[in-house]
Amino acid sequence: MGQIAVIAAPDVGRTVLGSCIGLVLYDPPAKIGAMAHIVLAEKQNRPGPPGKFADTAVPHMLELLAARGAARRRLIAKLAGGSAMFSGTGPIQVGEANYRSVMRLLKDAHIRIAGEDTGGRKGRRITFDAETGRLVVEIVGQDPLVL
Amino acid sequence: MSSTSHNDPSLAILQQFFTTATQHASAAMCHWTRGRVSLTLDELTRVPLEDAMFQFEEAHDLVTMVVLGVDGSDGAQLILAFDDASGRRLAASLLHREPSNGPEWTELEKSAVMETGNILASAYLNELTRLANRKLVPTAPHFVQDYGMSVLEQALLMQAMSSDEVMVSRTRFEFDSEQVNWNLMFFPDETLRDSLQRAVVAAS
Repeated sequence: MGQIAVIAAPDVGRTVLGSCIGLVLYDPPAKIGAMAHIVLAEKQNRPGPPGKFADTAVPHMLELLAARGAARRRLIAKLAGGSAMFSGTGPIQVGEANYRSVMRLLKDAHIRIAGEDTGGRKGRRITFDAETGRLVVEIVGQDPLVL
Repeated sequence: MSSTSHNDPSLAILQQFFTTATQHASAAMCHWTRGRVSLTLDELTRVPLEDAMFQFEEAHDLVTMVVLGVDGSDGAQLILAFDDASGRRLAASLLHREPSNGPEWTELEKSAVMETGNILASAYLNELTRLANRKLVPTAPHFVQDYGMSVLEQALLMQAMSSDEVMVSRTRFEFDSEQVNWNLMFFPDETLRDSLQRAVVAAS
């Protein structure tokens, strides 16, 4: 949670998401991407690493990718998560707020969204393969989805 | 035997409450299962949010859970978690049947483990109510089968909003005197945590 990982071929990255958003920015020709596990939409004055908040994660991912030679104009985005896990026992608006924030930031950064699977009430296990750029999304009781 | 990490005084204070609450939950569990199941607080620790996933062995795996909130609290949660086989074994023992092995849990099995979660949570929160002089009542239980971390993430969210660290508790369960892979986790929100700490200080 709150982490950003730079993943270059042939490596893969994996995480599990509830209301958090898993965001991947990927440069296909360079076969390098960054994956963030975003917990909250806005940093405001809260403590935490850049990957914890959407509004600090996206700029930091762009910096990390640029430092590793990725070209910003080639970047595509894939995202998953943002569930409302328990409507009766926890905050239900966080997943949606995270999603909206990420979408706005990607739009402002002119990064094309190549795939997304968000919302609902179930957790997701995601696996990003930097060799192929595929993001596999697994939901319990459903067939895996490839973005 | 339980332990806290980092010699954190505030965590040590909270551990007094959690240990006592766990003892009461264990007594209720013993009564409910006719002496077959007991539990103790194993560890109370505070870890960076990024490391929370590593505190839960089944973070990436399918886990069966009973999730309860706390009435009047803004996001506090109790989670009783177990692997599928352990959960079915518990349900079978309560229903006086052999453990089932079908792909889906029956409604009766779900009901049995949800009632178990309810009993545990009620005993746990009853004791915290007495210690903290604040009424804490569990909400209706949810039966959840999902990836462990996806549920834990939701439970940690309220702490993550105000802190870069999260408090995680581990509980050791024994079923017929053998340690089993179950866990009762309590995640107070910040207001509830402060309230508990103040109560301990006032009582000491």
